[in-house]
Amino acid sequence: MNAIEITNLSKQYGKILAINHMDLVVPEGMIYGIVGSNGAGKSTLIKALVGSLRPTSGAARVLGLDPLNEKWELRKQIGYMPQSPALYDDLTARENILFFGKAQSINELGKRTDEILEFTELSARASDKVGTFSGGMKKRVSLCCAMVHNPKILFLDEPTAAIDPHLKILLWRLFRKLAQSGVTIFLSTHQMDEVLLCDKVTIMSNGEILATDTPQKLIGLGKSRLTLTVNGIEKSTTIGSTSQNLASELQKSGFDPKISSVAIQTESIEEIILSIMNQREEEIKR
Amino acid sequence: MNHTVIIAQRVLIQLKGDRRFLMLYFIAPVLIIYFLKLLIDTLPHFVPVVSIAMPICAFIVHFLSFILCAILLVQERTRGTLERMMIAGYSKTSIIGGYTLGYFGLATFQSLIAFSESIWLFHLNYSFGTILFMFIVIWLLSVVSVMLGIFISTFAKHEAHVLPFIPLIIFPSVFLTGLIIDSDKLPLWAELIGDCLPIHYAINILKEIMHVDYQVVNTLADFVILIGYIFGLLFLASFTLRETE
Repeated sequence: MNAIEITNLSKQYGKILAINHMDLVVPEGMIYGIVGSNGAGKSTLIKALVGSLRPTSGAARVLGLDPLNEKWELRKQIGYMPQSPALYDDLTARENILFFGKAQSINELGKRTDEILEFTELSARASDKVGTFSGGMKKRVSLCCAMVHNPKILFLDEPTAAIDPHLKILLWRLFRKLAQSGVTIFLSTHQMDEVLLCDKVTIMSNGEILATDTPQKLIGLGKSRLTLTVNGIEKSTTIGSTSQNLASELQKSGFDPKISSVAIQTESIEEIILSIMNQREEEIKR
Repeated sequence: MNHTVIIAQRVLIQLKGDRRFLMLYFIAPVLIIYFLKLLIDTLPHFVPVVSIAMPICAFIVHFLSFILCAILLVQERTRGTLERMMIAGYSKTSIIGGYTLGYFGLATFQSLIAFSESIWLFHLNYSFGTILFMFIVIWLLSVVSVMLGIFISTFAKHEAHVLPFIPLIIFPSVFLTGLIIDSDKLPLWAELIGDCLPIHYAINILKEIMHVDYQVVNTLADFVILIGYIFGLLFLASFTLRETE
Protein backbone atom coordinates (compact mmCIF):
# COMPACT_ATOMS: atom_id res chain seq x y z
CA MET A 1 0.00 0.00 0.00
CA ASN A 2 1.15 3.52 -0.68
CA ALA A 3 1.56 5.81 2.29
CA ILE A 4 0.86 8.96 0.27
CA GLU A 5 -0.82 9.52 -3.08
CA ILE A 6 -0.97 12.99 -4.58
CA THR A 7 -2.91 13.68 -7.77
CA ASN A 8 -2.70 16.95 -9.67
CA LEU A 9 -2.35 18.94 -6.43
CA SER A 10 -2.09 22.74 -6.63
CA LYS A 11 -2.04 25.52 -4.08
CA GLN A 12 -2.23 29.15 -5.08
CA TYR A 13 -1.63 32.17 -2.82
CA GLY A 14 -2.84 35.14 -4.84
CA LYS A 15 -0.59 35.21 -7.88
CA ILE A 16 1.93 32.77 -6.43
CA LEU A 17 1.56 29.12 -7.32
CA ALA A 18 3.14 27.39 -4.32
CA ILE A 19 2.38 23.87 -5.62
CA ASN A 20 1.93 23.40 -9.33
CA HIS A 21 -0.17 20.39 -10.45
CA MET A 22 1.87 17.86 -8.50
CA ASP A 23 1.62 14.07 -8.79
CA LEU A 24 3.49 11.93 -6.30
CA VAL A 25 3.37 8.45 -4.80
CA VAL A 26 5.22 7.53 -1.62
CA PRO A 27 5.43 3.81 -0.73
CA GLU A 28 5.16 2.76 2.93
CA GLY A 29 8.12 2.23 5.24
CA MET A 30 10.76 4.42 3.60
CA ILE A 31 12.50 7.68 4.25
CA TYR A 32 11.21 9.95 1.52
CA GLY A 33 12.91 13.28 1.06
CA ILE A 34 11.56 16.44 -0.55
CA VAL A 35 14.55 18.53 -1.50
CA GLY A 36 14.51 22.10 -2.67
CA SER A 37 15.62 25.59 -1.89
CA ASN A 38 13.63 27.97 0.34
CA GLY A 39 10.29 28.81 -1.24
CA ALA A 40 10.22 25.65 -3.35
CA GLY A 41 6.86 24.63 -1.85
CA LYS A 42 8.08 21.92 0.54
CA SER A 43 6.33 23.21 3.69
CA THR A 44 3.16 23.97 1.73
CA LEU A 45 3.12 20.38 0.49
CA ILE A 46 3.57 18.97 4.01
CA LYS A 47 0.84 21.25 5.37
CA ALA A 48 -1.52 20.06 2.66
CA LEU A 49 -0.77 16.44 3.58
CA VAL A 50 -1.36 16.90 7.32
CA GLY A 51 -4.66 18.71 6.70
CA SER A 52 -3.53 22.13 7.83
CA LEU A 53 -3.92 23.68 4.39
CA ARG A 54 -6.71 23.47 1.85
CA PRO A 55 -5.39 22.86 -1.69
CA THR A 56 -6.69 25.03 -4.51
CA SER A 57 -7.23 21.95 -6.68
CA GLY A 58 -6.30 18.30 -6.91
CA ALA A 59 -6.37 15.60 -4.27
CA ALA A 60 -4.14 14.01 -1.69
CA ARG A 61 -4.60 10.77 0.23
CA VAL A 62 -2.51 9.82 3.21
CA LEU A 63 -2.82 6.17 4.30
CA GLY A 64 -5.86 6.07 2.02
CA LEU A 65 -7.53 8.95 3.90
CA ASP A 66 -8.46 12.46 2.82
CA PRO A 67 -6.45 14.90 5.01
CA LEU A 68 -9.37 17.36 5.23
CA ASN A 69 -12.53 15.26 5.25
CA GLU A 70 -11.14 12.35 7.28
CA LYS A 71 -8.82 14.37 9.47
CA TRP A 72 -9.78 12.85 12.83
CA GLU A 73 -9.05 9.32 11.64
CA LEU A 74 -5.87 10.46 9.93
CA ARG A 75 -4.49 12.47 12.86
CA LYS A 76 -4.37 9.32 14.99
CA GLN A 77 -1.94 7.85 12.47
CA ILE A 78 0.34 10.74 11.56
CA GLY A 79 2.93 12.75 13.43
CA TYR A 80 3.97 16.27 12.45
CA MET A 81 7.15 18.11 13.33
CA PRO A 82 6.97 21.70 12.10
CA GLN A 83 9.92 23.79 10.96
CA SER A 84 9.92 25.89 14.14
CA PRO A 85 10.04 23.89 17.38
CA ALA A 86 6.38 24.82 18.24
CA LEU A 87 6.81 23.95 21.91
CA TYR A 88 5.86 25.62 25.18
CA ASP A 89 9.00 27.18 26.67
CA ASP A 90 7.47 27.37 30.14
CA LEU A 91 6.76 23.63 30.24
CA THR A 92 9.34 20.91 30.74
CA ALA A 93 10.29 18.52 27.93
CA ARG A 94 8.20 15.82 29.55
CA GLU A 95 5.19 18.11 30.04
CA ASN A 96 5.32 19.15 26.38
CA ILE A 97 5.39 15.54 25.19
CA LEU A 98 2.60 14.51 27.57
CA PHE A 99 0.44 17.44 26.44
CA PHE A 100 0.64 16.57 22.74
CA GLY A 101 0.37 12.85 23.56
CA LYS A 102 -2.89 13.39 25.45
CA ALA A 103 -4.53 14.56 22.24
CA GLN A 104 -4.74 10.86 21.30
CA SER A 105 -5.76 7.94 23.47
CA ILE A 106 -2.44 6.26 24.20
CA ASN A 107 -2.04 3.33 26.55
CA GLU A 108 0.59 3.95 29.22
CA LEU A 109 1.43 7.44 27.98
CA GLY A 110 3.92 8.00 30.83
CA LYS A 111 5.86 4.85 29.92
CA ARG A 112 5.81 5.73 26.23
CA THR A 113 7.07 9.25 27.04
CA ASP A 114 9.99 7.79 29.02
CA GLU A 115 10.81 5.45 26.13
CA ILE A 116 10.98 8.19 23.52
CA LEU A 117 12.92 10.50 25.82
CA GLU A 118 15.49 7.72 26.10
CA PHE A 119 15.35 7.05 22.36
CA THR A 120 16.20 10.70 21.66
CA GLU A 121 18.80 10.80 24.47
CA LEU A 122 16.85 13.41 26.44
CA SER A 123 16.08 11.50 29.65
CA ALA A 124 18.55 13.51 31.70
CA ARG A 125 16.85 16.80 30.77
CA ALA A 126 13.24 15.56 30.86
CA SER A 127 12.30 17.73 33.84
CA ASP A 128 13.95 20.91 32.58
CA LYS A 129 11.96 23.70 30.99
CA VAL A 130 12.20 23.73 27.20
CA GLY A 131 13.03 27.45 27.31
CA THR A 132 16.47 26.53 28.68
CA PHE A 133 17.22 24.13 25.80
CA SER A 134 19.48 24.66 22.80
CA GLY A 135 17.97 24.69 19.30
CA GLY A 136 19.05 21.10 18.69
CA MET A 137 17.52 19.84 21.92
CA LYS A 138 14.26 21.61 21.08
CA LYS A 139 14.27 19.78 17.73
CA ARG A 140 14.56 16.48 19.58
CA VAL A 141 11.70 17.38 21.97
CA SER A 142 9.68 18.41 18.93
CA LEU A 143 10.39 15.02 17.34
CA CYS A 144 9.27 13.31 20.56
CA CYS A 145 5.98 15.27 20.45
CA ALA A 146 5.45 14.15 16.85
CA MET A 147 6.08 10.46 17.54
CA VAL A 148 4.63 10.00 21.04
CA HIS A 149 1.45 8.34 19.72
CA ASN A 150 3.31 5.79 17.54
CA PRO A 151 2.26 7.26 14.18
CA LYS A 152 2.50 5.29 10.94
CA ILE A 153 3.80 8.33 9.06
CA LEU A 154 6.02 11.10 10.37
CA PHE A 155 5.96 14.43 8.52
CA LEU A 156 9.14 16.31 9.34
CA ASP A 157 9.52 19.84 8.00
CA GLU A 158 13.24 20.65 7.74
CA PRO A 159 14.09 18.65 10.85
CA THR A 160 17.83 19.21 10.58
CA ALA A 161 17.86 22.90 9.65
CA ALA A 162 20.14 25.08 11.81
CA ILE A 163 21.61 22.32 13.94
CA ASP A 164 25.21 21.21 14.39
CA PRO A 165 26.68 18.27 12.41
CA HIS A 166 26.87 15.99 15.45
CA LEU A 167 23.17 16.37 16.21
CA LYS A 168 22.32 16.05 12.55
CA ILE A 169 23.97 12.62 12.47
CA LEU A 170 22.15 11.67 15.68
CA LEU A 171 18.78 12.70 14.22
CA TRP A 172 19.38 10.80 11.00
CA ARG A 173 20.29 7.73 13.04
CA LEU A 174 16.93 8.10 14.80
CA PHE A 175 15.08 8.50 11.50
CA ARG A 176 16.69 5.34 10.16
CA LYS A 177 15.76 3.40 13.31
CA LEU A 178 12.17 4.60 12.97
CA ALA A 179 12.04 3.63 9.30
CA GLN A 180 13.42 0.18 10.16
CA SER A 181 10.55 -0.23 12.63
CA GLY A 182 8.08 0.37 9.78
CA VAL A 183 7.38 4.10 10.13
CA THR A 184 7.20 6.03 6.86
CA ILE A 185 9.19 9.24 7.13
CA PHE A 186 8.31 12.09 4.79
CA LEU A 187 10.72 14.95 5.30
CA SER A 188 11.73 18.16 3.64
CA THR A 189 15.22 19.59 3.49
CA HIS A 190 17.18 22.21 1.64
CA GLN A 191 20.49 20.55 2.48
CA MET A 192 21.53 18.69 -0.63
CA ASP A 193 23.89 16.29 1.17
CA GLU A 194 20.87 14.79 2.96
CA VAL A 195 19.64 13.39 -0.34
CA LEU A 196 22.05 10.50 0.13
CA LEU A 197 20.45 9.57 3.44
CA CYS A 198 16.95 9.13 2.00
CA ASP A 199 15.56 6.01 0.32
CA LYS A 200 13.87 8.06 -2.37
CA VAL A 201 13.95 11.73 -3.20
CA THR A 202 11.85 14.30 -5.02
CA ILE A 203 13.56 17.49 -6.06
CA MET A 204 11.24 20.50 -6.04
CA SER A 205 11.57 24.01 -7.36
CA ASN A 206 8.93 26.74 -7.58
CA GLY A 207 6.19 24.30 -6.67
CA GLU A 208 7.12 21.82 -9.39
CA ILE A 209 8.74 18.40 -9.29
CA LEU A 210 12.08 18.41 -11.11
CA ALA A 211 13.06 14.80 -10.50
CA THR A 212 12.05 11.78 -8.43
CA ASP A 213 14.41 8.86 -7.93
CA THR A 214 16.65 6.96 -5.55
CA PRO A 215 19.76 8.88 -4.44
CA GLN A 216 22.00 6.40 -6.28
CA LYS A 217 20.20 6.98 -9.55
CA LEU A 218 20.26 10.73 -9.03
CA ILE A 219 24.02 10.58 -8.51
CA GLY A 220 24.23 8.54 -11.72
CA LEU A 221 22.66 11.49 -13.52
CA GLY A 222 25.65 13.63 -12.61
CA LYS A 223 28.74 14.18 -14.77
CA SER A 224 32.39 14.11 -13.76
CA ARG A 225 35.33 15.74 -15.40
CA LEU A 226 38.17 13.24 -15.74
CA THR A 227 41.68 14.41 -16.57
CA LEU A 228 44.33 11.78 -17.29
CA THR A 229 48.02 12.60 -17.81
CA VAL A 230 49.65 9.94 -20.03
CA ASN A 231 53.34 10.39 -20.95
CA GLY A 232 53.10 14.03 -19.91
CA ILE A 233 50.08 14.75 -22.10
CA GLU A 234 46.87 15.86 -20.39
CA LYS A 235 43.60 14.53 -21.73
CA SER A 236 40.27 15.71 -20.33
CA THR A 237 36.89 14.10 -20.84
CA THR A 238 33.41 14.25 -19.32
CA ILE A 239 32.03 10.95 -18.04
CA GLY A 240 29.05 9.72 -16.04
CA SER A 241 29.37 9.70 -12.26
CA THR A 242 29.08 5.96 -11.70
CA SER A 243 32.00 3.71 -10.76
CA GLN A 244 31.46 1.75 -14.01
CA ASN A 245 31.83 4.90 -16.12
CA LEU A 246 35.15 5.62 -14.49
CA ALA A 247 36.49 2.10 -15.02
CA SER A 248 35.40 2.06 -18.65
CA GLU A 249 37.14 5.39 -19.33
CA LEU A 250 40.34 4.23 -17.64
CA GLN A 251 40.34 1.02 -19.68
CA LYS A 252 40.83 3.13 -22.81
CA SER A 253 44.21 4.10 -21.41
CA GLY A 254 45.30 0.54 -20.69
CA PHE A 255 43.59 -0.02 -17.35
CA ASP A 256 43.15 -3.72 -16.56
CA PRO A 257 39.84 -4.73 -18.22
CA LYS A 258 39.21 -7.18 -15.38
CA ILE A 259 38.58 -4.21 -13.10
CA SER A 260 35.06 -3.25 -14.03
CA SER A 261 34.34 -0.62 -11.44
CA VAL A 262 36.42 2.07 -9.74
CA ALA A 263 34.93 4.32 -7.05
CA ILE A 264 36.50 7.16 -5.17
CA GLN A 265 34.63 8.24 -2.09
CA THR A 266 35.68 11.57 -0.73
CA GLU A 267 34.61 12.85 2.66
CA SER A 268 32.05 15.62 2.68
CA ILE A 269 32.95 18.89 4.36
CA GLU A 270 30.58 18.05 7.21
CA GLU A 271 32.33 14.73 7.81
CA ILE A 272 35.71 16.46 7.78
CA ILE A 273 34.59 19.07 10.32
CA LEU A 274 33.07 16.40 12.53
CA SER A 275 36.22 14.31 12.35
CA ILE A 276 38.31 17.36 13.36
CA MET A 277 35.93 18.01 16.26
CA ASN A 278 36.04 14.35 17.36
CA GLN A 279 39.83 14.36 17.14
CA ARG A 280 39.97 17.42 19.39
CA GLU A 281 37.55 15.83 21.86
CA GLU A 282 39.74 12.71 21.95
CA GLU A 283 42.81 14.89 22.62
CA ILE A 284 41.05 16.64 25.51
CA LYS A 285 39.99 13.28 26.96
CA ARG A 286 43.61 12.09 26.86
CA MET B 1 -9.33 13.06 30.32
CA ASN B 2 -11.42 15.57 28.43
CA HIS B 3 -9.42 17.61 25.90
CA THR B 4 -10.85 20.89 27.19
CA VAL B 5 -9.63 20.15 30.72
CA ILE B 6 -6.22 19.03 29.41
CA ILE B 7 -5.78 22.32 27.54
CA ALA B 8 -7.00 24.37 30.53
CA GLN B 9 -4.49 22.55 32.75
CA ARG B 10 -1.72 23.23 30.26
CA VAL B 11 -2.64 26.93 30.08
CA LEU B 12 -2.47 27.21 33.88
CA ILE B 13 0.81 25.26 34.20
CA GLN B 14 2.31 27.37 31.42
CA LEU B 15 1.19 30.68 32.94
CA LYS B 16 2.37 29.61 36.39
CA GLY B 17 5.88 29.52 34.96
CA ASP B 18 5.51 32.91 33.22
CA ARG B 19 6.45 35.43 35.89
CA ARG B 20 6.04 38.44 33.63
CA PHE B 21 2.50 37.43 32.85
CA LEU B 22 1.66 36.83 36.49
CA MET B 23 3.12 40.21 37.45
CA LEU B 24 1.07 41.97 34.81
CA TYR B 25 -2.08 40.03 35.45
CA PHE B 26 -2.20 40.23 39.24
CA ILE B 27 0.16 42.98 40.40
CA ALA B 28 -0.66 45.55 37.69
CA PRO B 29 -4.36 45.97 38.68
CA VAL B 30 -3.37 46.29 42.35
CA LEU B 31 -0.91 49.08 41.50
CA ILE B 32 -3.24 50.85 39.08
CA ILE B 33 -6.09 50.84 41.61
CA TYR B 34 -3.69 52.25 44.21
CA PHE B 35 -2.67 55.03 41.77
CA LEU B 36 -6.36 55.68 41.23
CA LYS B 37 -6.80 56.05 44.98
CA LEU B 38 -3.96 58.61 45.05
CA LEU B 39 -5.65 60.54 42.24
CA ILE B 40 -9.09 60.43 43.83
CA ASP B 41 -7.67 61.67 47.15
CA THR B 42 -6.68 64.91 45.39
CA LEU B 43 -10.23 65.55 44.13
CA PRO B 44 -12.59 67.97 45.91
CA HIS B 45 -14.89 66.37 48.48
CA PHE B 46 -18.07 66.91 46.45
CA VAL B 47 -16.86 64.51 43.73
CA PRO B 48 -18.80 61.23 44.15
CA VAL B 49 -15.74 59.01 44.64
CA VAL B 50 -17.76 55.96 45.50
CA SER B 51 -19.71 56.02 42.25
CA ILE B 52 -16.61 56.13 40.03
CA ALA B 53 -14.24 53.89 41.99
CA MET B 54 -15.97 50.60 41.28
CA PRO B 55 -16.62 51.24 37.54
CA ILE B 56 -12.95 52.17 37.12
CA CYS B 57 -11.95 48.98 38.95
CA ALA B 58 -14.15 47.11 36.46
CA PHE B 59 -12.46 48.90 33.56
CA ILE B 60 -8.95 47.96 34.79
CA VAL B 61 -9.93 44.29 35.03
CA HIS B 62 -11.57 44.48 31.60
CA PHE B 63 -8.55 46.06 29.91
CA LEU B 64 -5.88 43.78 31.41
CA SER B 65 -7.83 40.55 30.89
CA PHE B 66 -8.59 41.43 27.27
CA ILE B 67 -5.13 42.51 26.24
CA LEU B 68 -3.16 39.75 27.99
CA CYS B 69 -5.45 37.00 26.79
CA ALA B 70 -5.35 38.28 23.20
CA ILE B 71 -1.54 38.53 23.17
CA LEU B 72 -1.03 35.07 24.66
CA LEU B 73 -3.28 33.47 22.07
CA VAL B 74 -1.53 35.33 19.26
CA GLN B 75 1.76 33.97 20.63
CA GLU B 76 0.32 30.47 20.27
CA ARG B 77 -0.30 31.21 16.61
CA THR B 78 3.10 32.77 15.88
CA ARG B 79 5.00 29.97 17.64
CA GLY B 80 3.10 27.34 15.69
CA THR B 81 1.72 25.61 18.79
CA LEU B 82 -1.88 26.36 17.80
CA GLU B 83 -1.44 24.60 14.45
CA ARG B 84 0.42 21.78 16.15
CA MET B 85 -2.35 21.30 18.71
CA MET B 86 -4.89 20.93 15.90
CA ILE B 87 -2.76 18.47 13.92
CA ALA B 88 -2.06 16.51 17.11
CA GLY B 89 -5.81 15.95 17.40
CA TYR B 90 -7.23 18.74 19.58
CA SER B 91 -10.42 20.17 18.10
CA LYS B 92 -11.14 23.86 17.64
CA THR B 93 -13.93 23.63 20.20
CA SER B 94 -11.73 22.02 22.83
CA ILE B 95 -9.00 24.63 22.24
CA ILE B 96 -11.39 27.54 22.77
CA GLY B 97 -13.05 25.71 25.66
CA GLY B 98 -9.67 24.97 27.24
CA TYR B 99 -8.54 28.56 26.99
CA THR B 100 -11.84 29.80 28.33
CA LEU B 101 -11.69 27.40 31.27
CA GLY B 102 -8.04 28.21 32.01
CA TYR B 103 -8.55 31.97 31.92
CA PHE B 104 -11.88 31.64 33.69
CA GLY B 105 -10.03 30.71 36.88
CA LEU B 106 -7.47 33.46 36.36
CA ALA B 107 -10.14 36.06 35.61
CA THR B 108 -11.99 35.07 38.79
CA PHE B 109 -8.84 35.42 40.86
CA GLN B 110 -7.86 38.71 39.27
CA SER B 111 -11.28 40.29 39.70
CA LEU B 112 -11.35 39.09 43.33
CA ILE B 113 -8.02 40.80 44.06
CA ALA B 114 -8.94 44.05 42.29
CA PHE B 115 -12.39 44.11 43.85
CA SER B 116 -11.17 43.44 47.41
CA GLU B 117 -8.54 46.14 47.10
CA SER B 118 -11.12 48.66 45.86
CA ILE B 119 -13.49 47.88 48.74
CA TRP B 120 -10.64 48.32 51.23
CA LEU B 121 -8.97 51.41 49.74
CA PHE B 122 -12.13 53.37 49.07
CA HIS B 123 -13.79 52.32 52.35
CA LEU B 124 -16.89 51.18 50.51
CA ASN B 125 -19.47 50.43 53.11
CA TYR B 126 -22.09 48.17 51.56
CA SER B 127 -24.08 45.19 52.73
CA PHE B 128 -22.73 41.71 51.99
CA GLY B 129 -25.40 41.18 49.32
CA THR B 130 -24.44 44.38 47.46
CA ILE B 131 -20.74 43.52 47.59
CA LEU B 132 -21.47 40.03 46.29
CA PHE B 133 -23.49 41.48 43.40
CA MET B 134 -20.72 43.93 42.55
CA PHE B 135 -18.19 41.11 42.52
CA ILE B 136 -20.40 39.00 40.24
CA VAL B 137 -20.64 41.91 37.78
CA ILE B 138 -16.86 42.48 37.70
CA TRP B 139 -16.28 38.77 37.36
CA LEU B 140 -18.75 38.50 34.47
CA LEU B 141 -17.00 41.42 32.79
CA SER B 142 -13.60 39.75 33.18
CA VAL B 143 -14.97 36.60 31.55
CA VAL B 144 -16.35 38.75 28.68
CA SER B 145 -12.88 40.31 28.38
CA VAL B 146 -11.27 36.87 28.05
CA MET B 147 -13.75 35.99 25.30
CA LEU B 148 -13.07 39.30 23.59
CA GLY B 149 -9.33 38.55 23.78
CA ILE B 150 -9.84 35.11 22.21
CA PHE B 151 -12.03 36.60 19.48
CA ILE B 152 -9.69 39.51 18.65
CA SER B 153 -6.67 37.18 18.58
CA THR B 154 -8.17 35.39 15.59
CA PHE B 155 -7.63 38.54 13.51
CA ALA B 156 -3.97 38.95 14.44
CA LYS B 157 -1.10 37.06 12.87
CA HIS B 158 1.44 38.45 15.34
CA GLU B 159 1.49 40.41 18.58
CA ALA B 160 1.75 43.80 16.84
CA HIS B 161 -1.59 43.18 15.14
CA VAL B 162 -3.28 43.31 18.55
CA LEU B 163 -2.13 46.89 19.16
CA PRO B 164 -4.63 48.64 16.83
CA PHE B 165 -7.47 46.95 18.71
CA ILE B 166 -6.41 48.52 22.00
CA PRO B 167 -7.48 52.11 21.20
CA LEU B 168 -10.39 50.78 19.16
CA ILE B 169 -11.89 48.98 22.12
CA ILE B 170 -10.42 50.76 25.12
CA PHE B 171 -10.93 54.46 24.33
CA PRO B 172 -14.62 54.16 23.44
CA SER B 173 -14.95 52.10 26.64
CA VAL B 174 -13.56 55.01 28.67
CA PHE B 175 -15.38 57.88 26.96
CA LEU B 176 -18.66 56.50 25.66
CA THR B 177 -19.93 53.93 28.16
CA GLY B 178 -20.74 56.01 31.22
CA LEU B 179 -17.45 55.38 32.97
CA ILE B 180 -16.59 59.07 33.34
CA ILE B 181 -19.76 60.86 32.27
CA ASP B 182 -23.30 59.56 31.85
CA SER B 183 -23.64 58.17 28.35
CA ASP B 184 -27.13 59.65 27.91
CA LYS B 185 -25.52 63.12 27.84
CA LEU B 186 -23.61 62.14 24.69
CA PRO B 187 -24.84 62.63 21.09
CA LEU B 188 -27.04 59.74 20.00
CA TRP B 189 -24.46 58.23 17.63
CA ALA B 190 -21.81 58.22 20.38
CA GLU B 191 -24.28 56.74 22.84
CA LEU B 192 -25.06 53.97 20.34
CA ILE B 193 -21.35 53.13 20.01
CA GLY B 194 -21.09 52.99 23.80
CA ASP B 195 -24.13 50.68 23.90
CA CYS B 196 -22.23 48.17 21.73
CA LEU B 197 -19.46 47.75 24.29
CA PRO B 198 -19.84 45.17 27.05
CA ILE B 199 -18.41 47.37 29.80
CA HIS B 200 -21.36 49.76 29.34
CA TYR B 201 -23.72 47.14 30.79
CA ALA B 202 -21.36 46.31 33.66
CA ILE B 203 -21.14 50.00 34.56
CA ASN B 204 -24.93 50.34 34.36
CA ILE B 205 -25.36 47.51 36.84
CA LEU B 206 -22.61 48.75 39.19
CA LYS B 207 -24.15 52.24 39.32
CA GLU B 208 -27.59 50.81 39.98
CA ILE B 209 -26.36 48.45 42.70
CA MET B 210 -25.05 51.41 44.70
CA HIS B 211 -28.56 52.86 45.05
CA VAL B 212 -30.23 52.10 48.34
CA ASP B 213 -33.47 50.98 46.65
CA TYR B 214 -31.71 48.65 44.18
CA GLN B 215 -33.64 45.68 42.91
CA VAL B 216 -32.16 42.99 40.65
CA VAL B 217 -35.07 43.25 38.27
CA ASN B 218 -34.01 46.84 37.38
CA THR B 219 -30.77 45.55 35.86
CA LEU B 220 -31.93 42.17 34.60
CA ALA B 221 -31.64 43.26 30.97
CA ASP B 222 -28.03 44.44 31.56
CA PHE B 223 -27.17 41.10 33.19
CA VAL B 224 -28.69 39.17 30.29
CA ILE B 225 -26.77 41.27 27.74
CA LEU B 226 -23.49 40.84 29.64
CA ILE B 227 -23.94 37.06 29.74
CA GLY B 228 -25.05 37.21 26.10
CA TYR B 229 -21.70 38.77 25.24
CA ILE B 230 -19.92 35.75 26.74
CA PHE B 231 -21.79 33.28 24.56
CA GLY B 232 -21.86 35.56 21.53
CA LEU B 233 -18.10 36.11 21.57
CA LEU B 234 -17.51 32.41 22.26
CA PHE B 235 -19.59 31.57 19.21
CA LEU B 236 -17.81 34.17 17.06
CA ALA B 237 -14.38 32.97 18.24
CA SER B 238 -15.18 29.36 17.34
CA PHE B 239 -16.42 30.59 13.97
CA THR B 240 -13.34 32.66 13.15
CA LEU B 241 -10.61 30.35 14.53
CA ARG B 242 -9.50 28.56 11.39
CA GLU B 243 -8.19 25.01 11.30
CA THR B 244 -6.88 25.28 7.74
CA GLU B 245 -5.09 27.99 5.77
